Amino acid sequence: MTASRIRTFAVVVAGFAVIGLTAACQRGAASASAPASDPRSDAARMERTNAQLQKQIELAAGKEFYLVLDPKHAGLTLMLKGAPLQRFTVLGLQVGHPRAAWVSERDPRHVQSVIWSGGELDPPRQIDRLVIQASEPGKEASESTPPPIPLTPEELYPVPSRYHVRFADGLSVEILPREADASVGRWAHARAAMAEKARDVYSAIRASGRDTTRLRITLDPKEAQSFYRSLPPAVRLIVLDGEVEPPQPAAAVPEPAK
Amino acid sequence: MAPSPSLPTVNSQVEMASGPDASGRALPAGLPPSPAGTSRPGRRGLPNGRTAATGAGAVLLLAVLLAGTGYRYEPYAEQPVTVSVDIPSEARPLEQFTARLRSRQRALTARLDALAPKGVYIVIDQTQNRIYLKRGNDTLLQAVCSTGSGMVLRESGGKKREWVFDSPRGRFEVRTMLRDPVWRKPDWAFVEEGQPIPRNPADRLDYGTLGEYALYFGDGFMIHGTLYERLLGRAVSHGCVRVGRDDLRKVWASSRVGTQIYIY
Repeated sequence: MTASRIRTFAVVVAGFAVIGLTAACQRGAASASAPASDPRSDAARMERTNAQLQKQIELAAGKEFYLVLDPKHAGLTLMLKGAPLQRFTVLGLQVGHPRAAWVSERDPRHVQSVIWSGGELDPPRQIDRLVIQASEPGKEASESTPPPIPLTPEELYPVPSRYHVRFADGLSVEILPREADASVGRWAHARAAMAEKARDVYSAIRASGRDTTRLRITLDPKEAQSFYRSLPPAVRLIVLDGEVEPPQPAAAVPEPAK
Repeated sequence: MAPSPSLPTVNSQVEMASGPDASGRALPAGLPPSPAGTSRPGRRGLPNGRTAATGAGAVLLLAVLLAGTGYRYEPYAEQPVTVSVDIPSEARPLEQFTARLRSRQRALTARLDALAPKGVYIVIDQTQNRIYLKRGNDTLLQAVCSTGSGMVLRESGGKKREWVFDSPRGRFEVRTMLRDPVWRKPDWAFVEEGQPIPRNPADRLDYGTLGEYALYFGDGFMIHGTLYERLLGRAVSHGCVRVGRDDLRKVWASSRVGTQIYIY
């Protein structure tokens, strides 16, 4: 009894094992052979990547400074002739469309499809030039005052809490430092928010010269200041494929140095 | 014609000719008395109430409209991939099409890479007075420097010339590398000091002011040392890029004739 029963039991167990293994192998084979995506979509994406590379070559061959916004790698890089000059880490990226009385107006162009040109800071970086009238050669200067020590860049160029880089054809890049206005008091914060709202309303309803699309880029406050101080005039912009990953919670709120 | 009771101005005229109501005030003829407990003074105030309600409604409407005016932000999403009719749907032609795209992608990437600088290059941020040595995306050195002050100098006598002390923007390359450079002072250096411009070229030579090294990149501009290291980080130069002694040694060691310089 026992021997035949044991044999039967072993055969049944072996049978189940074979069936299980076969099923597992089939599942594995099915998942391996399953197409990752549609080949036509892959081809379309490759076509678009090539078009973007072509645009990047056009920018690198030009004389103007340009910005490359790479959402996939969370980077905004200032470039000239193919050389990366300064890279800023993008912490957040949003797109804004104007709306009047709850009716949205969307620019049919996607920001990725265009090379944006003529980007200028708003408010602009002011340069106050010191003009010195030289004294006549051989004559003593009337007052022997030493020239003043020039200010540092931080003193020379105060950076607004939020600012824009406005491009021709209606795109505006809004630079928003992370935790903007967090250091100011509640009333100052409310005033800033009201002023921002008023500017947005004015921009959204005016007939010409408004921002048809906005890209809101969140940067670290120090990087936002650095970006404002270093951006050259008449900059161009290209937006590459990809989307910004949400920042890791640990990285989002760094511990203050003690 | 009898005046309409709904017209308040007329009502007030009629009141004087009628009997008093519950509140002791006159009622217009032909109107039923008001129910107990309800006073009539509201009739005089009613238009004001209506106006206030209308005003409040208008303000509310305006607030609602304003709330929906401005910019609406949403998370950024990349452009959706659209498959055009040019992309073949049959397996064999699609394979060939994809192979052509892949080959083109390689060619374009190679062209783009060819435009990027090879080896070490120098980057100067003239607004923030910083100099960087870079290789690709790596930063090998970051240091303070001094760039053009942006000052305007006007000549009083002579040709009434004017100079603007800006550093140039754009891409340049190291043309000459000089050890213990001697500065051949241009006209503006004498004009600035109120000195006559010398006729003898030897009187223009100035030793020691440019530090140990100078990297000449054209049009009279150089990266060089300075006697005024305490002013590094401020825009004080006449257009050249001044670097501290130790950092200048590193820049010198990493550079050669042809090294690319990018100033922004």
